[in-house]
Amino acid sequence: MDHASLGNDCSEHFAARVQELYTARGAEQPHLAIGGNGSRVAFGLPADLSLALGEHRGVVDYQPEELTLRARAGTPLSELEVLLAQHNQSFAAEMPQPTTQSTLGGAIATGWDGPGRAFGMSLRDSVLGCRLINGRGEIINFGGQVMKNVAGYDLARLQVGALGTLGAILDVTLRLQPRVEDTASVSFSVNAGALSQWWQRTRSLRPLISGTCYLDGRLYLRISGRAVAVQDLLAQLGGDITGFDWSALANLQLPFFCSERLACVHLPRYAELPVGAGQALVEWEGARVWVREGDHHALSREAARLGGFVQVLRGPAVPSQVDAPGWHRALRNALDPRGLFNPGLFHSRFCTSEGETGREYTGAGR
Amino acid sequence: MVKREDTAPFECDALPVYCEAPLAVALAHSEQDVVAAVRLCHEFGVPLVSRGAGTGLSAGAKPIARGLLLVTAPMNRILDLDPQAMTARVQPGVINQQISTAAAPHGLYYAPDPSSQIACSIGGNVAENAGGVHCLKYGVTVQNVLSVRLVSATADNIGEVLTLGGDCLSQPGYDLLALVHGSEGGLGVITEVTVKLTPVPEQTRTLMADFDCVRTAADAVSAIVRAGVIPAALEMMDKLAISATEAFCHAGYNLEAAAIVLIDLDGHPLEVQAELAVVEQVLSESGAAQVRRAADELQRARWWKGRKSAFPAIGRLSPDYYCIDGTVPRHRIGEVLEATARFAEKYSLRVANVFHAGDGNLHPIIMFDGIEPDALERTEKLAADILEYCIAVGGTITGEHGVGLEKINQMAVQFSDAELEQFRAIKRNLDPFELLNPDKQIPTLARCQEYRALRQSGG
Repeated sequence: MDHASLGNDCSEHFAARVQELYTARGAEQPHLAIGGNGSRVAFGLPADLSLALGEHRGVVDYQPEELTLRARAGTPLSELEVLLAQHNQSFAAEMPQPTTQSTLGGAIATGWDGPGRAFGMSLRDSVLGCRLINGRGEIINFGGQVMKNVAGYDLARLQVGALGTLGAILDVTLRLQPRVEDTASVSFSVNAGALSQWWQRTRSLRPLISGTCYLDGRLYLRISGRAVAVQDLLAQLGGDITGFDWSALANLQLPFFCSERLACVHLPRYAELPVGAGQALVEWEGARVWVREGDHHALSREAARLGGFVQVLRGPAVPSQVDAPGWHRALRNALDPRGLFNPGLFHSRFCTSEGETGREYTGAGR
Repeated sequence: MVKREDTAPFECDALPVYCEAPLAVALAHSEQDVVAAVRLCHEFGVPLVSRGAGTGLSAGAKPIARGLLLVTAPMNRILDLDPQAMTARVQPGVINQQISTAAAPHGLYYAPDPSSQIACSIGGNVAENAGGVHCLKYGVTVQNVLSVRLVSATADNIGEVLTLGGDCLSQPGYDLLALVHGSEGGLGVITEVTVKLTPVPEQTRTLMADFDCVRTAADAVSAIVRAGVIPAALEMMDKLAISATEAFCHAGYNLEAAAIVLIDLDGHPLEVQAELAVVEQVLSESGAAQVRRAADELQRARWWKGRKSAFPAIGRLSPDYYCIDGTVPRHRIGEVLEATARFAEKYSLRVANVFHAGDGNLHPIIMFDGIEPDALERTEKLAADILEYCIAVGGTITGEHGVGLEKINQMAVQFSDAELEQFRAIKRNLDPFELLNPDKQIPTLARCQEYRALRQSGG
């Protein structure tokens, strides 16, 4: 495959480094700060890297007829998108790209989805396979390049959102999709109080609807599919045709996101979060709300009351609240027994915190 | 239940070549029953195998002679169905099809539809990460479950009830829900499942294409996806499967065809119309001898009834049959089918093929007569050859049936020692007392070495 000749394979070199630390017997507890190239600090990855997977890059295998792509973790998503577009294909899930150098591995490790999540495939569901270095410095491979695979535990999906604490991701196989034939956006002037009625309506717009965003009194809808169907639906919907920038939304590059404090509130579908006007951006039919300059602790309490939770991107941190902390410890122990990979992140994100730390996250992504 | 006449019906799942009488069978009626069973088993050092309806095809629910078999089938209530949020909260013994039936008045259904959907229970679907005919477009079980409750057996709290996942579209922490799907009852006992419901598509149209050659049909499957269409279902049957099902339920298949391909296209009517045109053109360019559109709902239902009754239909042709479950890249399907035919000839066995072609998920059905002294042995060798060929072309030994006991040897072929040890480390950390369905799914190191040596020596 001609794509395979490009790029740089650092897997053996990285694995040797991890193995060295695993076997090191010094007084000091060894650790590695793993990341790609530092573009996703706002999403939780470390800034000063001691294992920079951004160097490990290139397409390993791309088979358009299989709708699968296998690439090294450090490959920039922007490069992959160009390649896929040449074959009239795209990723099956939207992945935020804070910069043009943002990597595939970083997208997997942080696990954030874009505006299409509520209407289509999530990132975790588009991951078919993953090759990684475990905490013993072994290179191991799970999942595969086929659509269905239930041999052994699903350790590929488990990497999504684990922030590198369960392994250093070497390469990932993703499911692709045929490029959507047509996409258009319409907007409506809507009162916040009328949103829940709108979610009734958007439910009936499936499968053509692929994004909702409520910002500054306007509701933006993204419609995607075969051109005949998209145009037909647009004619029925009315509203104003708009050039709303959905990738700026996915990448958190809209002016709304330039704030001192930024939090993301996950809620059950159709829950209503009471927040001030101009302070919130509502996505996913109300299931994801971005709040700027909010009181994170109050938000966290309110989200918990509604059955949701808060992730802080910038500003005062809130206590982590994972399900089954015992299982988190067990998995960490199984995959990284010496706790080499991103230990600070493991404790702040994946362990139940005893009281609040009051530590501030300062994002480089602003 | 401890008496032999009571426990006898539970000695195997739907793969009856593996069979064993358990120490006792317990029927769970509530989550408390499950917690009590797990704690008792821990107290007395007795392993526990959990199962639902027992429709599994990999002997994953085969009891252990020194163990308890815990049956969650009596936990069969739909606890809540929320049409607004498009979710249903159900007990593990609820039958797959029941959820769609209950959701139908709201224009919703539960998408994963294994062929056993009228009998299989949702707890088992999660444990095996079950697939089905429509998962090419709508995903397998893991894509359609929001949360589970399960009884855990970790060292610090045996019998703890955990909720993994939730009502949000993502969850804080690790994706434990993904880990539990396909864990084959080895990490916990599922006591409740919240599933995602999907709006019933506005329109569904079905196409059937006949081919004179299996290879041509297989290549047409790849061409459809390459043309930018993801059908809701894309299934294939070979000549033996066609004749068996046609005799069984008169579906209306062409008995002269070497293979047929059945395709569902669904969604917005204008999209369906556009995609019908694309697919019909691709099929005729790919060498289909005939392409038909189902005229009405009745014909559509008949065509699909044939596909879904293929297993019992083939069962009528042979005293015993054995279904396997490898997945390969789509463009290798033709090659794998040809290799399967060669292997079958070597062992003097007949194989029918009826499978999820769109996913590359093959289901060769080996027909044999268990009365012949070496028939089962030849069947198992043939199955091993086919599965190992699947691995060789970049596939996997199981797409949706699970490893269980049946494919435990092939795990040693698909995975390296470090990978298998990683699986074992996870199992050890989450089930330190080896209480839950031990000795299945993940082979021991000794077993792997033994099997690899055996295969190398040509055994």
